[in-house]
Amino acid sequence: MPGSKQKKGAQAPFSSPEMRPHHSLKKKSRRFFFLLALFIPTFSVIGFLTIYPTIRGFILSFQNYTVFNIRRIRYIGLQNYERVLQSGDFGLILWNTFVWIFFSVLFQMLLGLGLALLMRKPFKGRGIYAGFVFYPWALSGFAIGLIWRWLFDGSFGIINDILIRLGIIERGISFFSDPVLAMVAVITVNIWYGFPFFAIMILAALQGIPQDVYESAWMDGANPINTFFKVTLPFIRPVLINTVLLRVIWVMNYPDIIYAMTRGGPAKATEILSVYMINIVFYENNNFSKASAVGVIIISILMVFTTFTYLVTNTKRMEL
Amino acid sequence: MRVKKSVKKTLKALALGLYLAFAIAPILWIFLTSIKPPEDIYTFPIKYWTEKPSFDAYRYLFGFAKFSKYFGNSVFVTMFASIVSTFFALFSGYALSRFRFKGKGFLLIFLFFTQMIPAYLLMIPQFQMFSGMKLTNNLFGIIIIYIGLGATFSTIMSKGFFDRIPVSMEEAGLIDGCTRLGVLFRITVPLLLPGLAAVFSFSFVNNWNELFTAALFLDSDAKMTVPVALYSFISKAGIQWNVLGAGIIVALVPTMILFFFAQKYIIAGLTQGAVKE
Repeated sequence: MPGSKQKKGAQAPFSSPEMRPHHSLKKKSRRFFFLLALFIPTFSVIGFLTIYPTIRGFILSFQNYTVFNIRRIRYIGLQNYERVLQSGDFGLILWNTFVWIFFSVLFQMLLGLGLALLMRKPFKGRGIYAGFVFYPWALSGFAIGLIWRWLFDGSFGIINDILIRLGIIERGISFFSDPVLAMVAVITVNIWYGFPFFAIMILAALQGIPQDVYESAWMDGANPINTFFKVTLPFIRPVLINTVLLRVIWVMNYPDIIYAMTRGGPAKATEILSVYMINIVFYENNNFSKASAVGVIIISILMVFTTFTYLVTNTKRMEL
Repeated sequence: MRVKKSVKKTLKALALGLYLAFAIAPILWIFLTSIKPPEDIYTFPIKYWTEKPSFDAYRYLFGFAKFSKYFGNSVFVTMFASIVSTFFALFSGYALSRFRFKGKGFLLIFLFFTQMIPAYLLMIPQFQMFSGMKLTNNLFGIIIIYIGLGATFSTIMSKGFFDRIPVSMEEAGLIDGCTRLGVLFRITVPLLLPGLAAVFSFSFVNNWNELFTAALFLDSDAKMTVPVALYSFISKAGIQWNVLGAGIIVALVPTMILFFFAQKYIIAGLTQGAVKE
C-alpha cells in the first residue's frame, strides 16, 4: 500500500514550490475541501448503496421479515440461521458450490492458458481474432445460460444431435434431469464464459516476459516443454495466482448461468449458495430475512477468502 | 526441418480454429434458430439450416412483445448510470492517484474489500430502502443502484490509469497558473481518454447485463429492461425458441459491438493490475 508507507501528516504530491507543505493554512484548508469534493460523489454512493445495505441486511437476518408480515416484524434471534444450516440441503449446497468453483476455474485457466500460448506470437489478423475469441467476456451470463439451455435441449438440442451423429450415444440425453450431467452442463457453460478472461490476463503476462530469457534458455539447449516449465511458468505465476483467486470469488457469486439453465435443479443438484439465496428471494414468499441470513453466510465466506486473496496478491503487487 | 515447421504451423492454426469455433458456435446456433420458421426448429433429426429464413421472430419481438420499449429502457438506464459512474470514478481516481493524505492506505484496502461484494447480496436491503422512497419500479431507482454497483471498481480502475500518466505534465500546468481543476480537464483528461473508455465500457457491460436487482425492482411491463424481459419470457409457459433466440441476439448485440470497438481499452483495463510497466 502506498499510503501505509507514508509518514504522518498530509503532503501534496506535487513538487512545485507552491505545493510544498509549508504553505499557508488557507491553502491547506482549500486543498482539504478540494480533496473532499473529489471523494464525495463516489464515497456517498458507496456508503449509501453498499455499506448501509450490508448493515441493514445483517440486521434483517435476525428478523422475521416476509412480504406477508410487513406489519409484524420482530427479532427472532438465530432462527433464520438455524433453519438454513439445519435444513438437510445445506451441506449439498456447499458441496455444489465447491464443485462449481473448482471445475469452472480449473478448466477456465487451462483453456485460457492454451489460448494465450497460441496467441503469443503475432500472426496476421490477431487483433480481429482476439475480438472474436474474447467476446464472451462482455456477454450477459443469463442470456448465455439460455443459449446453452437450448444447445443442451433433450429433444432438439444440437449437442445431443452431434453426439448421436458421432455414435457416442444412441438417443438424446435429457441433461437437465440427471444430477451429474446437469452439473457438467452448467460448468461447461461457465468454462465457455470465463476462459477468455484467463486468456486475456495470461497473454498480457506472457508479453511482459523479456525475450532474452528465452534466448539464453535455447542456447542452453532447452526443449519447448522444458522452457515452458522453467521459464514461462515461473514468470506468469503471480498473474496466474491472482487471476485464480479473483476468479474464485467471482464464480462463487455468479448465479446467472445456473439460474438461466436449471435454477438449481434437478432436485437441488446444481444449487450453489448464490442461487439458493436468489431462489429464496423470488420463490419462498419473499422471505427476505431467511435470504439475508444466507447472504450473511456468503459475505462471511467472501470476507475470509478476500482477506486471504488480499494478503497473497498484495505481496506480489504493491498497488491495487 | 521445413516440413516439421509447417506441420507445427498447421497444428497451431487448427488449434486456433477450434478455439474460434468453440467461442462462436453457440451464438451462431441461436442466431440460426432465431431465423428459422417454427416448423424447422422442432424437427427430428434437427435441421442445421433452413431454406426459408425469416425475420418473423424479430418482427414479433418488436411488435407484439414490445421489445423496443425494453430495449429503450435498457439503453436509458445503462447509458445514464455508466456516464455518471465514469465521472465519479474520474474524480475519485484522480484524488487517490495524485494526493497523499492520512488514511489513504486504509481507504484502498476498504475499496478492495467493497468491490468484492456482489450486487445480489445487496438487493434485499436496497429494495426495502427504495420502496420507502417510492423508487422501486422506477428506472431512476435502478440507475442509482447501478451507479453504486460500479462505483468501487471504476474508482480502482481509474486510479490505475491515472497512475500511468506522469505527474510532470500536471506540474507544468500548475506552474503556468492553471487551477487544479483546469489542469485535470485540460491536460490530464485528454491523456486519460483510453482509461475513461475502459471505465465506461466496464460499467456499460455490467449495467446492461444486470438481471436480479432489476427483476426484483421492476415489476411493471413498461419499466422492464432487456434481461428482465428475457427472464419473464422463460417464466411464461412454453418457450418459443425462435422468439427467445431473437430476444437473446438483441440482448447480446450492444455489448458485442462495444467489445469489438473498445477491446483494446477493455483489455488494458483488465490487465493493468496484472502487468506492471
